[in-house]
Amino acid sequence: MRGALIAALALAAAMVLSMTTGVREVSAADWWGALTAYDPYDPAHVTLAAVRAPRLAAALIAGGALGAAGSVMQALTRNPLADPGLLGINAGAAFALILGTTLLGRADAATVSALVFPGAAAAAVAVFALGGGMKGDAGPVRLTLAGAALNAFLLSLVTALALARQDGFDVLRFWVAGSLAQAEARPLAEMAVAAAAGTGLALALALRLEALSLGGALARGLGVGAGRTQAGALAAVALAAGAAVAVAGPVAFLGLTAPPLARRLAGHSLRAEIAVSAMLGAALLLAADAAGRVILAPMEVRAGVMVALIGAPVFVILARRLRPGAPA
Amino acid sequence: MLAPPDQMRAGPPRAGVARRAVLRAVLRGAGAAALALAAPAVARAETPTDAGPIRLPGPWGETRLARPARRVVSLGYTSQDGLLALGVVPVGLRHWFGDHPYGVWPWAQPLLGEARPVLMRGEVSIETVAGLAPDLIVAAGSGIGRAEHDLLTRVAPVLMQAPGRPVFGSPWPEDLRRLGLALGRAARAEALIAQVEDAFAALRARRPDWRGRSAVAAWRNGGETGAFMPADSRARFLADLGFRAPEALSRLPAPGGFYATLSPEDLSPLDADVLVWISSFDRAPDLAALPMRRTLVAHREGREVFAGPLVAGALSFGSVLSLPYALRALEPEIAAALDGRPGTPVPSAVRAGLAP
Repeated sequence: MRGALIAALALAAAMVLSMTTGVREVSAADWWGALTAYDPYDPAHVTLAAVRAPRLAAALIAGGALGAAGSVMQALTRNPLADPGLLGINAGAAFALILGTTLLGRADAATVSALVFPGAAAAAVAVFALGGGMKGDAGPVRLTLAGAALNAFLLSLVTALALARQDGFDVLRFWVAGSLAQAEARPLAEMAVAAAAGTGLALALALRLEALSLGGALARGLGVGAGRTQAGALAAVALAAGAAVAVAGPVAFLGLTAPPLARRLAGHSLRAEIAVSAMLGAALLLAADAAGRVILAPMEVRAGVMVALIGAPVFVILARRLRPGAPA
Repeated sequence: MLAPPDQMRAGPPRAGVARRAVLRAVLRGAGAAALALAAPAVARAETPTDAGPIRLPGPWGETRLARPARRVVSLGYTSQDGLLALGVVPVGLRHWFGDHPYGVWPWAQPLLGEARPVLMRGEVSIETVAGLAPDLIVAAGSGIGRAEHDLLTRVAPVLMQAPGRPVFGSPWPEDLRRLGLALGRAARAEALIAQVEDAFAALRARRPDWRGRSAVAAWRNGGETGAFMPADSRARFLADLGFRAPEALSRLPAPGGFYATLSPEDLSPLDADVLVWISSFDRAPDLAALPMRRTLVAHREGREVFAGPLVAGALSFGSVLSLPYALRALEPEIAAALDGRPGTPVPSAVRAGLAP
């Protein structure tokens, strides 16, 4: 419980930071005005309502979803290095994005969002099918291998398209770093529903996943069907990570870093870990986005880059503290 | 080695290499080359002379041609325009961006005629180039490296940009002059350069009220908004129309020199007398939906112009053929934006959904 409280406080602090950090000075009067008499021609009002608030919402969706999905992936594959990208989510999204924008000849934010989520979901289904999930026995090793193979295949197609098409390369170049700068133009409400559904499903499946981590035979003895639990967990990951990639692009490291931090705070209950990991993921993404706004102002460092800059050292420290043979 | 992203393409400084001096030298060297000045579409061979081989300096050695080239492969991302303007249809050319037949954009299509050049995408394939059996390979503005250059010279003489020039930033008149020399059509190159410069001068004379007013070429791409700096070809184009860059722009950091990225919380550096949105790929919906854009006075007073894919492409090409095209397209738009009445619709901004 103490862990959840710490995570919630960190999240609240990051939310305040996100709404108050930026190149524009916003006074208390501006806050009051934006809430009571919104003026679409006032830059301070627009900053609060159309720049910072959508970024806050997008970070809560993407960070929370990636934190939860990362925990599920690590529990499902019994591998502390697993992250949602292993399911081919990012590669599928990138492939759908570059193919779709090339065929349609347009790359506005609405088009990008409409392409990314189906691409991510299709890739997750493909990995599940390739890993033997349709026959009900997608073991952790088979899933990991299928994911790695599909990732490599899709990313080579993406590279081929990007090399052949200058405009496609430009679209990809800006998308691939992951950013909240376009949050205002993204389908936040729809993706919030998808992320909440994915996280809710993950929380509901947490006990079964813990049983499954004891091995397929023991899980069956406890009345847990391996195939159905895996399918449900992958659906949760696809929904949550697909929503994250649709609002923020591929944000690396978040799904990898938040779960081990959460395990240290929440102890070894998967349900608590998923909840804490979601809060920490959102807090980390919010802090990274806020830092990216001011570190090179007026230019912005993309949130995906800042997450990797902050997340990588944290991850290395966690990995070094790991005792050999201990669960991460 | 990738193509220059069009957004980042360096601007060709258009001012003053001493044109007359070059012209004099050419006339002296090549004898009285036929002054086939007008009608660039008519391919009239200017007589090769016995004044010895054509020699042009390059960054990695001299380009030597025994006689003016006629079978040319164009590897530069925009060099097809210069070749077509000089009346030589390349047998193969390089795809930059956009979906136009044979990689030739509308401003150059009439000069292509019935020709069917080979369109080369992605990396340069030495095999494809050799298969075309050229007598000249134009690689100015192609981004090829030394090793590729040396390999290509075994196929045919390779023409690079002049020594000391950046790969993607050599001035178009200089590139055209060098092409003219290599094709034995130096006089025609000079005439074409003069035509374009006269068109800009005529516009400045026609629109004296534009002089000294501020104009910004802006972009929005991948969630970022920014402005092209004065060194960029698009900003130089506006300067050639008589406009000046707003002071707020010069205070912005621009690490690459050609463009600056703005904070989404403050787009005020874009608030000039004319705001030209450059959108080389169709991103008009993103611009229309950008709330911070509505806080700009230029928006509220109807002083925004939308340069869509074709005009943006013309400015990115910055060639002898594309610049007059951009000039014709943008003059009425800017005039509507600057007429002093916020109510006058700017057709391109209305079409793109940007009008107030």
